[in-house]
Amino acid sequence: MYYAYILKELRHHRHRTLVNILGIAVGIALFVSINAVSTAYQQAVSLPFKNLGADLVVQRAEKRAVNSSQAGPSMRGIRLPFSNQLLSTDDLDKLRIFPGIDAMAGSLLLWDFDQGGFRTIMGVDLSQPSLGPVHIKEWLAKGRFPDKKGEVVLEKHYAKFHNTGLGDKFTIGSRSFKVVGLLEIREGAQIASANIYLPMADAQDLVGNESKSVNLVYLRLQNPSRLNQTKTEIMQSMPGISVVSSDAILEVMGGISRISDQFSLVVSLVALAGAVFLIIKTMLGNLVERSREIGILKAVGWTGGDVQKQLMGEVFLQSLIGGIVGVAAGYLISYLLGYLSIPVTTPWEVNLLPAFAKETGAAAQMIRLPVSFSAGLTAAALALSLLAGGLASYFVGRRMAKMKPADILRRL
Amino acid sequence: MSLVVAEDITKDYRVGEMIVPALRGISFEIEPASFVSFVGPSGSGKTTLLNLIGCLDAPTSGRMTVAGADVGALDRKEGAAFRGANIGFIFQDFNLLPVLTAYENIEYPLLMVQNIPVEERRRRVTALLEAVGMADQAGKRPDQLSGGQKQRVAIARALVTSPKVVLADEPTANLDSKTAHTVVELMKKMRDELQTTFIFSTHDQKLVDEVEILFRLEDGLLASRGNGEG
Repeated sequence: MYYAYILKELRHHRHRTLVNILGIAVGIALFVSINAVSTAYQQAVSLPFKNLGADLVVQRAEKRAVNSSQAGPSMRGIRLPFSNQLLSTDDLDKLRIFPGIDAMAGSLLLWDFDQGGFRTIMGVDLSQPSLGPVHIKEWLAKGRFPDKKGEVVLEKHYAKFHNTGLGDKFTIGSRSFKVVGLLEIREGAQIASANIYLPMADAQDLVGNESKSVNLVYLRLQNPSRLNQTKTEIMQSMPGISVVSSDAILEVMGGISRISDQFSLVVSLVALAGAVFLIIKTMLGNLVERSREIGILKAVGWTGGDVQKQLMGEVFLQSLIGGIVGVAAGYLISYLLGYLSIPVTTPWEVNLLPAFAKETGAAAQMIRLPVSFSAGLTAAALALSLLAGGLASYFVGRRMAKMKPADILRRL
Repeated sequence: MSLVVAEDITKDYRVGEMIVPALRGISFEIEPASFVSFVGPSGSGKTTLLNLIGCLDAPTSGRMTVAGADVGALDRKEGAAFRGANIGFIFQDFNLLPVLTAYENIEYPLLMVQNIPVEERRRRVTALLEAVGMADQAGKRPDQLSGGQKQRVAIARALVTSPKVVLADEPTANLDSKTAHTVVELMKKMRDELQTTFIFSTHDQKLVDEVEILFRLEDGLLASRGNGEG
């Protein structure tokens, strides 16, 4: 290959070169940005689970919630949420030894309806594995976590709203607690975000729970790729149990979260096909101009293969530059989009708030798109740009290589 | 032994449904280191004949032998290799690659056609640039050169691979008479120095006066063979 000729040819036909590079760059930028944003969106949606280190959340809904002919529940005082009834010892034992479970932790979620309004209370056992609400230890903004009964930690905005600070007395039901810590709910951790956190034993006392059980179980799987199978297996072997994963959030989100990998690929390939078409069209448009060169090159002894290699060199270089520019532009677009925050809606199964609180907006949390650089995506994008160039140069080059020098020179 | 031997060559072109005969049974021989011209009016078959000698095209019938090879029987790849090793071309429109300098235009046939080391390439190109009087214009692109200068570069390009034959199709058609004379003198000088056979087509009477052997073509037939005044 005659490299100096390639560079000079591309420089000499600046506009043609620029159009080809831009064509490839636009296709690649679309490919990168669609994939990067789609991946970021899916990561954002999975944050509520990821932040807790959990793959699945298991709970048992109140029977009345299924059978509406029963009498309505009392909406006063402290009570268990409709979708979070206490799990039996049998349920917990089954889950603990369920195949594929790596770790398990539980918490007790309570609703408190009093004259001051509504609030959520979560009982946490800090001695459990680093899974589920145990992560609240990492969210402490001030103070410490309770190390004995009678102490609570408040979510800091809730505490501010109620003019409560560290060391203050705080009443839940008829019991008085001391505020020993304030915490800030981490972005995307809404499936464990309560107003009040307290030791498990206190929470169990509040609800009068003699069996000392929990109503939310967080599971970490040994093999997260078996998530759907494990989810189905648990539901089949434990009737009435509800098992939720981050897929449930994807289902309620709609929009871009529905962009599957295949859809991204199809859109990107359409964009790249456009780029290939553009290059072929530009190059065929210049075939008359270039036929003189080809005729001369062949006359002096270059073979069809030599001419094709030379042309492929030109297209390869344009594709590479187009690919690099496209990858850079794609990530730039993605990072700019990453400044946007998206509302991640919590599905009702794991929404800690009652249905009537939906309108408050508390059920959806704004999460910034966690766009990140992916070596795999970058490599795929560059490979696609070279493939696009390879296809274009193959079609144009084959046509050029087949041209007979005598025919070309006769026409000149 | 003759360098070029044409035996009863015919060449037909198909134009739509019609068959147009360009050459109708031509035979001749050309000796090594000759300075030969084919003359005749437009459409008489001059360029077709040069294309057949140059292995750019194959005869419809007959046999064309160049440097001992039946060039009509070579396939595309063999033809390209044969041209690269044995034949140089000079065109009416110079046909230099516009993006390359004079030096690079002379050098590129050596790059792909003959795998010659860089030092040897430099030596050959520099020697030819000096021989055609273009050493001081080596870095200029074709659009920075006059017509005569371009044709000098084209002559150097044709000679750089040390071919046995240089084929020149109307090499002076786009030059003024003074420059044309200089170019023809240069070709003669190169023939004398390198013992390369020069075969060209022309209908320029001034150029005809310079040649040593003259073949006159009319309607695809060889009308006469004679010695020129050159």
